[in-house]
Amino acid sequence: MNRRAAVLILIACLAFSLTCIIYPLYVIQPFRAQGAHELAAALLVLRYKLAAATLSAFAALAALVFYWRAQNRWWRRAVATAGALLVCALAALSRVNVYELMFHPDAHPVFRAASQVKLDSDEKVIAVRLGEAARAYPIRIVSYHHVINDVLDKVALVATY
Amino acid sequence: MWSREIAGLRLTFHLAGINNQNFLMRDEETGTYWQQISGKAIAGPLQGSQLTLVHSDELNFGTWKSEQPEGTVLADVPRYAFEYAPKNWDVRMQRAPTVIDFHEHALKARDLMLGIRASGASRAYLYDQVVREKLVKDRVGSEAVLLVVGPDGQSVRAFRDRIPGVPGVPDFYRRPDGLLIDASTGSEWNFPGCAVSGKAKGTCLEPVEVLKDYWFDWRNYNPATTIYGRK
Repeated sequence: MNRRAAVLILIACLAFSLTCIIYPLYVIQPFRAQGAHELAAALLVLRYKLAAATLSAFAALAALVFYWRAQNRWWRRAVATAGALLVCALAALSRVNVYELMFHPDAHPVFRAASQVKLDSDEKVIAVRLGEAARAYPIRIVSYHHVINDVLDKVALVATY
Repeated sequence: MWSREIAGLRLTFHLAGINNQNFLMRDEETGTYWQQISGKAIAGPLQGSQLTLVHSDELNFGTWKSEQPEGTVLADVPRYAFEYAPKNWDVRMQRAPTVIDFHEHALKARDLMLGIRASGASRAYLYDQVVREKLVKDRVGSEAVLLVVGPDGQSVRAFRDRIPGVPGVPDFYRRPDGLLIDASTGSEWNFPGCAVSGKAKGTCLEPVEVLKDYWFDWRNYNPATTIYGRK
């Protein structure tokens, strides 16, 4: 591999990794309409972005090794290294669920007896009853976390709002 | 409210995005993406699958607690509680913009509707209208349904307009104290839909799932919906 090829690979990896991160974020925005096809494309990218970004990082590092061997100028090596590190950083970022950064999950929901809870009587709740077990999920809580994975009377359910 | 069990798996869901202001979920186990309102898998290994609905009601806490004093309540997460919506979140949401709209039936995008799907049909009821009428007797497709407003004047439940084991039309009407009476057995029925006196005492009406949703969202997923009281 010559220097030129190594640089092209580095640039391609950077562009590819940036696309993997930015495209779904662009399409899936709260106050933007999503078309069916672009949503499908964005979800496809989301499904594979971790693997794709990781492969891209390995390719970038491999290209960097070849570039270092073929390039003596320190500042060009530094630029190439920065590019490769950026690709690696994007691979790490691809693990981040930005939606759960905005709305933190309630990974271990806690429940209290109705008699111990101080809520206004007109507070809205989602109420479910299974067998003899009854549970209420205040909408102000669920609407923030969006998803509450739960088990009630041995039934695994998810409260959503 | 959805069951987490499907295809022999117990799924754990996470918030994963948004689709025209209805959010997407992703399960840890398969990486499939699910639409929150429909429970349908829209991408991933289980694409096309449908989660099973678990019946739930949207009620005022006071009403729920009076019915289920031994029940349990989801607690807030203290470190995120300051980010929860304020008490008047529903009023503030009325002013939030939408990215899609359907200019039909003279409805505004954020008009609050009560949506019912039954016997292959979908029908929506203006929430304010149901609250005013307190008892709505209607049909969704071939299914006769009742929408009943609770004693708090805000909670709404829906039932099949049929008393199990009793032939014919029940012909419910509402007493000023909020109890329902059916003309066919003369029984009194409470807000949870169970007869508390009369020939049908101990019998409960079959609940029908009703979704409280904004018009734009309900219409987006129910394009053939009809509207109660409007052509």
